Amino acid sequence: MGSQVGVVRLAGVTKRYQNGDETIEALADVDFRAERGEMVTVIGPSGSGKSTMLNVIGLLDTPTTGTVRIQTRDVTAFTEDELTEERRSVIGFVFQEFHLLPMLTAVENVELPSMWEPTVDRRDRAVDLLRRVGLGDRLDHTPDELSGGQRQRVAIARALINEPDIVLADEPTGNLDRETGETILEELTALQTNENVAVVAVTHDEQLVEYADRVVELVDGRVTT
Amino acid sequence: MSVLDLLWRFPSVQMAWRNLGRNRIRTGLATLGIVIGVVAIASLGMTGAALQQQADSNLGSLTNEVSVSAGADSATDGVTESQVDDIENVVVAAAIVPQRSDSTTLSTRRGESRRVTVTGVTNAGALYETSAGDTPDRLRTGALLSDDTAADLGLELGDPVEYDGQLYRIVGLIESDSGFGPGGNELVLPSSALSDGAYDSVTIVAEDGQTATAIADRLDAEFNEPDDEALSVTSFASAQANVDSFLNTLNLALLGIGSISLVVASVAILNVMLMSTIERRGEIGVLRAVGIRRGEVLRMILAEAAFLGLLGGIVGAALSVGTGLVVFQLLAGDRLAVFGWPSIRYVVGGFGFAVVASVLSGLYPAWKAANDPPVEALRG
Repeated sequence: MGSQVGVVRLAGVTKRYQNGDETIEALADVDFRAERGEMVTVIGPSGSGKSTMLNVIGLLDTPTTGTVRIQTRDVTAFTEDELTEERRSVIGFVFQEFHLLPMLTAVENVELPSMWEPTVDRRDRAVDLLRRVGLGDRLDHTPDELSGGQRQRVAIARALINEPDIVLADEPTGNLDRETGETILEELTALQTNENVAVVAVTHDEQLVEYADRVVELVDGRVTT
Repeated sequence: MSVLDLLWRFPSVQMAWRNLGRNRIRTGLATLGIVIGVVAIASLGMTGAALQQQADSNLGSLTNEVSVSAGADSATDGVTESQVDDIENVVVAAAIVPQRSDSTTLSTRRGESRRVTVTGVTNAGALYETSAGDTPDRLRTGALLSDDTAADLGLELGDPVEYDGQLYRIVGLIESDSGFGPGGNELVLPSSALSDGAYDSVTIVAEDGQTATAIADRLDAEFNEPDDEALSVTSFASAQANVDSFLNTLNLALLGIGSISLVVASVAILNVMLMSTIERRGEIGVLRAVGIRRGEVLRMILAEAAFLGLLGGIVGAALSVGTGLVVFQLLAGDRLAVFGWPSIRYVVGGFGFAVVASVLSGLYPAWKAANDPPVEALRG
């Protein structure tokens, strides 16, 4: 069923912002879907609405019109608390700035999204995920003791702790050199098969396009391909 | 199981503790504000308690006594034997001490002399505490003398004193305390030493001030009509009530001053919490993005505020007890009295106030952080 409806699906999504007297249309009638096991890259110049689209897919922002579905659920009218539940259980985030908490160790950062859940094997799973991204020997390091690439791997492990269906990556290589970026992209492509998740990456980095199964280009809030 | 293991079970608490550890100077300064507030409120409160205790112990020997003398409309000059019997019938469970009074001059062979009041009393033990010798329940032959008078005149136990041509041997020395109670230039003799006839006054020693007031009221009702006062009944409990009411007012004023400093401290906590949540806006946005619920963020920040209050409260309470030991030593002469409930309750109260005020101060920053839309927060 999942492959027919898409694990995440936007239909006719429009997002408008009011900026003083001016109305800005960040997204205009966008249709989008992503399936498990595929990597979709959203590209476009800055101001094209990429970040808004990622926020809508990530349930951080709600569309002005149109519908958002996660699997078969229409989440468009969900309350903030319901959206929080969906984010926790379905979505993993990887940010350009890594956004790890400085006072927590690598393994604690990975545990963070499930910290308030009474899961018993949380620590084991966090350790296992860090091993898988090659940081088995950095479990108790704090972020400032890790390199940029290592931090982003911790972030990838954190995105997987709640066994999500979708991993959203916002410029995941933006703060990394080319070589490190490549290893991160390899981690991300490994996810789509190993974890059977949909990876949606937003970037203006050409490098990412090479790894994508599908590329969606946004210009002025409209999908052009 | 260690404390940390227990804390780990509450992720909000665990996160709060880590967050406070990130900026130790800020945490320390915010805590210091609370410490000062708690010390101010507790030590001022305890000073009041020490004053109260000191006043009580000074007044104590008087306030449980009722003094009865001849009323304005009495036909007799003094309180008669039959009136004493009547009093004994009305009053139960209190010592009734009829006494006669006079004054005389005691002199030594060396020519030194002191003017003393002479009290003729049988049941001396009910009224007087002695620093040396006995206070016989039935004083028949000997004499009691204030110890300071005895010292002035160079008299000791066993020495004779003369009154009305008779010699009496000193059998006890009365403590002359610094309060308002009896004692001080007083010679106590057997009742028979003074002229027979009516007593000058009757002192009734009750259990406490309240009983004394009740006894005074009862005697007044029993013996006196509105226009015919047979006995003049005086109780000193009202004096204590006045002193108490003054001390209560003083205490409230002191506590008010102390509370202001704690209010200032909680404003400081409000400021610190607000600053730190604004600084961590992006971080809180990340928490919300990865699925941490609003209530969990709220609890985490409230826990931070509560920690500040707890830390400040504990340190403040410890310092307050130290201050209290000094205050009680200086004012009441008994430093251990600080651990009595009338005093220690201000420490408990100051501690409680600190925690409550801190949590209240944390409410707004916590609410603000929890309800910040994650998109906005992530943007910074």
